[in-house]
Amino acid sequence: MARSDSSRFGEFLRFELRSRLRQPTVWLFGLLFALMAFGATTTDAIRIGGGSGLTAINSPYVVTQMLGILSAIGVLIVTAFVATAVVRDYEMRTYSLFYTCPIRRGDLLFGRFFGSLAMAWVVFVITAFGLAIGTLMPWLDPARLVPHQPAAYLWTLVVLVFPNLFVMGAVFFGVATLTRRVMFAYVAVAAFFVVYIVSQNLISGIENDTIAALVDPFGMAAVSVDTRYWTLAERNHSIPSLGRLVLINRAVWIGVGIAALVLTYSRFRMSAPIEGSKSAVDDDEPAVRVDREPPRVHLRHGFRQSLAQWGHQVRVELSGVLRSTPFVVILLFAVLNVFGGIYGAMDDMFGTPVYPMSYLMVEIIEGTSGLFVLIVIVFYSGELAWKERKVGLHEVYDALPVASWVPLAAKYVALVGAVAVLLAASALTGMATQIVLGWPHIDLAVYVQGLFFHGLTRWALVIALAMAAQAVTNQKYVGFLVMVGYFVLGAVLPAIDLEHGLYRYASEPSATYSQMNGWGHFVRGLVWYRVYWAFAATLLLIASALLWPRGTDNRWKLRVRRARAALRGPVAAATVLAFLGFVGCGAFIYYNTNVLNRWVPSDEQERLQVLYEERYKQYEHLPQPRVTAADVEVDLYPAERRVDFRGRLELVNQTDAPIDRVHVTLEPELTTRALELPDATLEEHDEELGYRIFRLDPPLLAGATTTLAFDVGFAEPGFKERGSSTSVVENGSFMHSTGFVPRIGYDRSAELSDPNERRERGLPERVRMADLDDVDARRNTYISHEADWIRFAATVSTSKDQIALAPGYLEREWTEGDRRYFRYEMDAPILDFYAFLSARWDVAPDRWTGGDREVAIEVYHQPGHDMNVPRMIDAVKKSLDYFTVQFSPYQHRQVRIVEFPRYARFAQSFPNTIPYSEAIGFIADLRDPEDIDYVFYVTAHEVAHQWWAHQVIGADAQGSTVLSETLSQYSALMVMEKEYGRDQMRKFLEHELDRYLSGRGLERHKELPLMRVENQPYIHYNKGSLVMYALREYMGEERLNRVLSRYIADVGFQKPPYTTARELVDRIRAEIQPEYAYLVEDLFETITLYDNRTRSATITALPDGRWQVDLEVETRKLRADETGAEHEVPLADWIEVGAFVEREENGRTREVALHLEKQKFTEHEGRVSFVVDEKPTRAGIDPRVLLVDRDPEDNVRTVAEN
Amino acid sequence: MPGEGHTTMGDRLEIRGLTKTYGNGVRALQGVDLDIPAGMFGLLGPNGAGKSTLMRTIATLQEPDGGTIRLGALDVLRDKDGVRRILGYLPQDFGVYPHLDAVTLLDHFATLKGIADRGERRAVVDALLQRVNLWNHRKKRLGGYSGGMRQRFGIAQALLGAPRLIIVDEPTAGLDPEERTRFLNLLAEIGEQVVVVLSTHIVDDVADLCANMAIIAGGRVLQKGEPRAAIDTLRGKTWRKVIDKGELEDHRERHMVISTRLVAGRTVIHVFDDGAPGQGFGAVEPDLEDVYFTALRRAA
Repeated sequence: MARSDSSRFGEFLRFELRSRLRQPTVWLFGLLFALMAFGATTTDAIRIGGGSGLTAINSPYVVTQMLGILSAIGVLIVTAFVATAVVRDYEMRTYSLFYTCPIRRGDLLFGRFFGSLAMAWVVFVITAFGLAIGTLMPWLDPARLVPHQPAAYLWTLVVLVFPNLFVMGAVFFGVATLTRRVMFAYVAVAAFFVVYIVSQNLISGIENDTIAALVDPFGMAAVSVDTRYWTLAERNHSIPSLGRLVLINRAVWIGVGIAALVLTYSRFRMSAPIEGSKSAVDDDEPAVRVDREPPRVHLRHGFRQSLAQWGHQVRVELSGVLRSTPFVVILLFAVLNVFGGIYGAMDDMFGTPVYPMSYLMVEIIEGTSGLFVLIVIVFYSGELAWKERKVGLHEVYDALPVASWVPLAAKYVALVGAVAVLLAASALTGMATQIVLGWPHIDLAVYVQGLFFHGLTRWALVIALAMAAQAVTNQKYVGFLVMVGYFVLGAVLPAIDLEHGLYRYASEPSATYSQMNGWGHFVRGLVWYRVYWAFAATLLLIASALLWPRGTDNRWKLRVRRARAALRGPVAAATVLAFLGFVGCGAFIYYNTNVLNRWVPSDEQERLQVLYEERYKQYEHLPQPRVTAADVEVDLYPAERRVDFRGRLELVNQTDAPIDRVHVTLEPELTTRALELPDATLEEHDEELGYRIFRLDPPLLAGATTTLAFDVGFAEPGFKERGSSTSVVENGSFMHSTGFVPRIGYDRSAELSDPNERRERGLPERVRMADLDDVDARRNTYISHEADWIRFAATVSTSKDQIALAPGYLEREWTEGDRRYFRYEMDAPILDFYAFLSARWDVAPDRWTGGDREVAIEVYHQPGHDMNVPRMIDAVKKSLDYFTVQFSPYQHRQVRIVEFPRYARFAQSFPNTIPYSEAIGFIADLRDPEDIDYVFYVTAHEVAHQWWAHQVIGADAQGSTVLSETLSQYSALMVMEKEYGRDQMRKFLEHELDRYLSGRGLERHKELPLMRVENQPYIHYNKGSLVMYALREYMGEERLNRVLSRYIADVGFQKPPYTTARELVDRIRAEIQPEYAYLVEDLFETITLYDNRTRSATITALPDGRWQVDLEVETRKLRADETGAEHEVPLADWIEVGAFVEREENGRTREVALHLEKQKFTEHEGRVSFVVDEKPTRAGIDPRVLLVDRDPEDNVRTVAEN
Repeated sequence: MPGEGHTTMGDRLEIRGLTKTYGNGVRALQGVDLDIPAGMFGLLGPNGAGKSTLMRTIATLQEPDGGTIRLGALDVLRDKDGVRRILGYLPQDFGVYPHLDAVTLLDHFATLKGIADRGERRAVVDALLQRVNLWNHRKKRLGGYSGGMRQRFGIAQALLGAPRLIIVDEPTAGLDPEERTRFLNLLAEIGEQVVVVLSTHIVDDVADLCANMAIIAGGRVLQKGEPRAAIDTLRGKTWRKVIDKGELEDHRERHMVISTRLVAGRTVIHVFDDGAPGQGFGAVEPDLEDVYFTALRRAA
């Protein structure tokens, strides 16, 4: 017989391919991933990276993102294939047949590895097809597609997906093969994800992008860095290039993969596993002869005994899980993950952390532990269900006199116990972290409530499902698939508009914890949903017990027959009871969510918006009377979550003609007890949308006044499925006028704004905002179309133990019974924009004096949140110091900062009242002076709004938010700079630049120059900061502030026509130095960017001890259009150049400017020289990044000595 | 190194001073010396005697701590690849890939054994499947095979490629009498030029089949030689008596009882004695079982 000595690599490879392709696993995974990719492309349901707004669905950017992210998830797939490639010979005990063949271990190892890896590659080729097919679907909006680029798929597969799978496959193949256990590979996968996520969090600062790019094994970060500031146009049409970072990343990680394979090869031996020997017991003991009678025992049966058996087995199963190596490893990594999660989440704003409050820890644990609990549940449900069968003990076990429900119930409780241990370990980690981070106030109640009452009970439901899946299907991997399906459904159902919790297993309404309001009213809904699903889980468990596989013949028919036979007596009663409980709870929940309250799913919400526009937009320009005064009575019942609003709005006909129709909008959720207008009859009442049309007979004459009296109530009985009001709560109510007070006329802001949604519903294109120069638009501010400045007074009542606040000065306070009353009046008109707050606050009072004015400062805060109050007060004082001198006098006699619960994260400026979220500022951890003090900054910004918005207010047109937000940013920057010094500003402005550039890529509509901004935060906040700071640096602070103070003097408190950004820009142009006049166009009227770079920076020592600095620089000026397409424009610009030195001050390193001067550049390249007194460390062009630059890193270089 | 040593037909397997101690202190092999010529060789011993360790060592799956094994010029311990080229191994406990059919898996093994030519391979696989009586089930999933069928598959793969060294480890445990007979017949057909080592605790297997044998217990070789010769040495020294259950302890103390058995409810003991042990005992013709039990008792 002919033998060949050649390599068997080919045979192993071929066998692996053939063998695996015959099994359904490859095709199933391929189908699953292809469906995910298809779904992500064709619906908005599944989101995997993906195009937001204008980035095309099939753009190379999106393709790369999606396939890249899927390949990261694909780690599990590739592990599933490669982990068993060699190890299966041990688990199936075929190793002794293979290892005795004349084969080389390399052939076996690599043949099997590459065969299995090829399977993972096949899965992803199928996925790519799924993605591609998705983009060809006819129902996709053609406006969201670009010409197909197959090259993008190829690039992503070859550069990202295949190498990713190779690297991950090689590593986990090594783990499994060398440890000879598949489970360890999966544990290693979990560990890897933990390390990956933690490292991503650690490296999230801007400075470390390059390291982050190289350290990411999936290559996504490297591609991300390369395309970070890509505009829309580039994302849609350009394939990412093989940039330097990407190449190095791929080389490094492929090298890692090869190293893993080499290591595996070198340590792999084709020999019998040592497990036999470790536990081998010497059997050469002489047989002990015992002829005595065995001791007598009594056998007990019955329910009591079953219960005892169950208790005993719970202990056995639980200790089995807790002591198994995989669980211990998972526990360790879960703990590590909690650390990492906390570390990553603590960096709140501008890189400044918050205090590690207990409830924050709980939220982080809940967010990050999900993966690990899931792994434990899914794997151990299978392991526990098959434990006896795996070791071949099941026949013995099943013949014992143990009731069938006992093993199921024991395994179930044991798994719940294991999860409890995991959660307890996480809780301990959270507590330890709190102590380590210096905030040892541990709220044990919050941990227990959050993780156990809330978390563990929910996991118990999921475990019931997992055990039922195992018991009913009686196939370990089908059971896993069921759980996977459950999770996928959990994401998909809401996306296809099936959002109600009643039909989503283990669902619950959302709940947020606040230290002001505790768990609040959310608890009720949570509890009922939990009980509801607990009944369902009970039914599942009963079914599992009845269908529990027992013995050797477990065909479906037989099990059903056994189940039917067992369904009698107490079991049947329990089933019926559970079913009744389920239905009963369901009915009660439905009553609460759909009958007592309105159930508004998201598509319904949109439908109502469309309806509003369709029906009433025709009245948009109908002349309506304007509100000139509001006197409101608010009765708040916090404990009952109920509020009554009564009041009178004074309406004046400020047009030239009589008005015979008044349109009034009131939120449909409100109960309207009275809505009275003299001489008016209700002509139309749209109950669904809350729109009323009154006919006035006789009509309201020009210049005449009338009064609208209203009496409305709001209450939220029972509980809601979603959208539970956070305005009216037990402690910390915060009610905006717009939600409760009747509004006059058509409200444009209620329209559907997203252009894609509008197109889908056939609505015409919507102008986001009126043009800058639109004359009509200047008749209204952007705050309100129904009023200019109004007189305001309010009487607010609340429960006796709370304080109620409204804009205005407290005229009178009194108690009546168990109610407390406050009367507030404003002595000057305010914008038609006010709010009411009520809570049990502590009040920190202070006062500011400036010139002859005295202003009362009060901070209303939650008891215990006083850490940053002094800083807030200080910020208020310093802001008043600066603004009253530089701009204009402060128009009120008080400044009140008021804390509200963390259901929303913002601060807002009402006349002399500044509500400030619990989540920002109050819990900021500012103990490290290196961190940016955003409390100071936000406070200064909000105080600045008292000038920029409450004195100067823009028309309802483009650019008006410049007048409020951008100028407030500038004001806050100035106060900050005075406080913290110029050098600190650089760090802050870097963040602003990064946000602006990133924001450009996420634009859904079109970018606009600053002057024409349409309420786009990344422009009016972030770009605004940069522009104003640069303007200050060029114009000089005195000159710029002079423009602003004159501006306020001219337009403050004006009546229509209201000012616009153009007026401000014209004023700046009039005052700016002639050589910088071009700046106005660059900064305000166009989207201008620079590409500045220092090619080299050399220093030479001069004989007199000073240093000469020589720079070779490049500069380029670009203008961009709305979609980001750029073209170069000629230069004639003054750009700053300078040199810096690093100094140690008070134990901190600071970079101090040695020399800064502006030079004029007209050419792309230039040479600059200047002399400094000290040896500098870095130098460059536009070193302080005053100008918007796509890559600010290359502006400055470390100097090289000549 | 491959190609360095080679075997010729009729080589004997020489085992010298083989030792193996496991990690937990179990001394599985304590200086085993054996000469195994071509033909059927029976390795007899109780469970835990070290038989499987020895089998796995010869089959290149395990390394001993010390000693040598040679097959002709082939250094079995060093030249594993050389051994595997001529080896046929039927392990005591093995599994199969349940989702594959017998032909596919056997063909895979045939390739791995080195039968490169597809035509030759198919011929060999077909022939072997017929020989082990799996022809009618050859296309069925191995996962559905009964224990006996799986064992037959194991034999088929062990016979692939006309091996010159065949190791069978506890092959008949779990086979019914008919299957056992068929298996032993199959082994007997293999041929006199092949070294076949049959490791078992079933004495009859050795008695029926093997020209040579060794008895191994506690990691040591207790006895070796031809079964016939071993039986001869016991002639006239084996005795039989029927006793009551209660008398057993007493007899054990006073005689060297080599085996106890129940026959129709009465206890029958065999005793080893150079001379007549006393009243109630009758001389009995010794068989291999007596040889086996005597060796074990002597070593204990």
